[in-house]
Amino acid sequence: MATIAATVSSTARGVARAPVMVRLAAAFLLLVAVLAVAGPWLAPYDPAAQDLMLNVSGPSGAHWLGTDQLGADVLSQVLAGTRAALIGPLVVALGTVVLGASLGILAGYRGGWIDALLNRLADLMYALPSLLVIIVLVGVVGGGYWFAVLVLTVLSLPSEIRLCRSATLAQARLPYIDAARTLGLPAGRIMARHLLPNIMPTVIATFLLDFVTALIGLSGLSYLGLGAPPGTPDWGTLLQSGQNLLADNPWISLAPGAMIALTATCFTLLGDWLYDRYSANGDHS
Amino acid sequence: MSPLLTVTDLCVRAGDKTLVRDVGFALEAGQSLGIVGESGSGKTMTARAVLAALPAGVTASGEIVFDGIPMVGRRERDLRPLRGTRVSMVMQDPFTALNPLQTIGEHIRESLPRRVRRDRATARSEVARRLAEVGLDSAEVAGRYPFQLSGGMRQRVAIAAALAADPDLLIADEPTTALDASTQAEILRLLHKLQRDRGMALVLITHDLRVAFSVCDRVLVMYAGSVVEDAPSAALMEVPEHPYTLGLLMAEPPVTHVVETLTAIPGSVPRADDVATRCAFAARCDWHVPQCAASRPPLAPVGPGHLSACTRLDEIRPGLRQRRERAAAPATATPPPAGTPILTVSGLSMTYRTTSMVSRATAKQAVRDVSFEIAEGESLGLIGETGSGKTTIARCILGLQTATGGTIRLGDLDVSDHRRLSAKERRRAARLVQVVFQDPYSSLNPMLTIGAALEEAIAVGGTGQSAGELLEMIGLPASYAGRRPSALSGGQRQRVAIARALAVRPRLLICDEPVAALDVSVQAQILELLRQIRRAHGTSMLFITHDLSVVRQMTDRAIVLRHGEIVESGDTAQVLDNPRHPYTVSLVESVPGHQ
Repeated sequence: MATIAATVSSTARGVARAPVMVRLAAAFLLLVAVLAVAGPWLAPYDPAAQDLMLNVSGPSGAHWLGTDQLGADVLSQVLAGTRAALIGPLVVALGTVVLGASLGILAGYRGGWIDALLNRLADLMYALPSLLVIIVLVGVVGGGYWFAVLVLTVLSLPSEIRLCRSATLAQARLPYIDAARTLGLPAGRIMARHLLPNIMPTVIATFLLDFVTALIGLSGLSYLGLGAPPGTPDWGTLLQSGQNLLADNPWISLAPGAMIALTATCFTLLGDWLYDRYSANGDHS
Repeated sequence: MSPLLTVTDLCVRAGDKTLVRDVGFALEAGQSLGIVGESGSGKTMTARAVLAALPAGVTASGEIVFDGIPMVGRRERDLRPLRGTRVSMVMQDPFTALNPLQTIGEHIRESLPRRVRRDRATARSEVARRLAEVGLDSAEVAGRYPFQLSGGMRQRVAIAAALAADPDLLIADEPTTALDASTQAEILRLLHKLQRDRGMALVLITHDLRVAFSVCDRVLVMYAGSVVEDAPSAALMEVPEHPYTLGLLMAEPPVTHVVETLTAIPGSVPRADDVATRCAFAARCDWHVPQCAASRPPLAPVGPGHLSACTRLDEIRPGLRQRRERAAAPATATPPPAGTPILTVSGLSMTYRTTSMVSRATAKQAVRDVSFEIAEGESLGLIGETGSGKTTIARCILGLQTATGGTIRLGDLDVSDHRRLSAKERRRAARLVQVVFQDPYSSLNPMLTIGAALEEAIAVGGTGQSAGELLEMIGLPASYAGRRPSALSGGQRQRVAIARALAVRPRLLICDEPVAALDVSVQAQILELLRQIRRAHGTSMLFITHDLSVVRQMTDRAIVLRHGEIVESGDTAQVLDNPRHPYTVSLVESVPGHQ
């Protein structure tokens, strides 16, 4: 863990010297993180409070992004919806990375039947059209938000396993792994202490990409009414509810849509930059 | 007659970093010049500057005149007609220098002058003639692809391609470094012959003084970006007039006799910018006095055609001579200890099988029926070239691979198949045998500090030593424990790798080409360290190497391996002095400078 902590702290120092775009992306994501924690308190109105007198209204001094058909403040809903929009993707990305990296390292280091089995499973899952699978499964089971999160996690595992496996294969043939084996170290220790820190660039980059995929995937499901339950403020749900009101107040759809797109873009930018930075020569300290 | 190539005050910079400083030399047509130096000496950058083919971001200043044409500051499009036609280059690595999708014939044809290329029949006969010149049969190789040829043949092809336009100057950048010893000798002989027959000028870049002596008329010794000595080969070989040249000469262990202590140059090569205003070598020189650090010594004539950048030469000359003579005296060989065997390998064989659904399965026998023993405290040399199976044998002993036949015993422990050992037996095996790999850059985990890497090994050995003690034992300050491998030089990393292996106090240490990736001046340090360890702890050693000098200095007995089979074995002195098998004879004869 010390290694990972060191990686993270040197990353923080590195961001200060990063290109402008990366710094902007990091700043925006910081803002999004603050909103995810404090969104409901920062919102100017109670997002659920209705003002039927107002009905649908465009942006005004009192309501910067206008109101929806029930007269609820759109800005407040977008701010309050941040948490719901981010928590699912975060769980998906964490689950995918923890499971995927473990299985990928295991497959890459051990080889043999474990590798063959995981590879064939991955092949099988690649053959399935994932969006269709999610829609059908979530629709049939009707399990709602957390079931969707689970299905998304399972579906993003194959590529995570593949990526971590090939990163592991590249490291496993280097002499320092042979030296560790010659010392008679247990396989678990070699994987955790020698392989994992050295494939960290891949792990961090894929974590961010998994997050982006899940963010878009879950928002899409919410839009189809298969994600967050109706009534909870969530970017995907908002996007959908504003669809019929585009002519009266386009901001109901535009604002959450922009948040999804910007968050996804910023994560991708940051992920690319982190990967380049750490895979260049593995160690910058 | 004015010289073909004149280089004056050449400086090469990458941004604000100096790589080469104030280099000057002249080369007559038909002459050969060797540029000798360790990594970081600026030898390759000097050569690239001559071709005006520096990497992006690297700039040259000064004056380079090739046959009356100034090369520095010239536009790329004006240089192109010169490159490949009047000045040509041979690269180090024949394995990547040829296009894998082109046949050998196409490679040569492409390099021929346009007028010859136009007519098919002429082109074909010309390709055949060019290939014959480098000792290849056109009927046999012209239709083949690079991957179907051996390294030596590929380098011949690369030379033929470089010579196709009949250049006046050929630059060869470490043309033999990636090749086996016997192939190396052939390629050097070929280069030498071509240079003489064609009356072509040759610049040979190498880290090996003996290679330069065997081919070149003049030798330029570079250190930390500048020239420290410039002399005719014969004079330099007889009387080096700079402490660094002497150090380099002596750092190469003699192949003819065992020396008492291997003379290494302490420390490592500094950066050119750190020594801009003083003698670059002062920090590592045994004769340095405070005045050496006061200013940068200029190259001054010390004999006919002999220049040296040492201001104290007149005072230290007797010292240099004396040092040389002392090293020439052979030490008396100690008889090999005859103890109980620590390692017994009998009938070892290794067959690689491929299974394929679409083509027939193939089997390749990498090692066949190899048997040998190493006694307690003994050092055995395993000599062989690429593909001889020597590394496979080591991996089987270490349990990194499982042999397909035969037995391996460490003392009374049967380790033929590591997969069958219990966890306890595996730990015991790890305490009996350890290894030092060839490449110090990848044999340490880049994410672990030196201390953490050593602690891990100490925990296995249970010796209760501290990482600091281990570091001091192998000659590094204990404070290095907090550093990462990236902060260490190649030699320092190899020391750490040795410390890690010694942490478990192994009875047998396998050294797989431990100095092949290191600079000459550092090689001797590492070899001497291994000798001291053997003396202090009585550790048995298995030395895997293609370098006969290393075998001479480090081993009691030696085994010669070819195509996975033992062709000769015996006491080291006997194998090297009176080789019986024709293959061993050819190996001994291929040592550079062998008469």
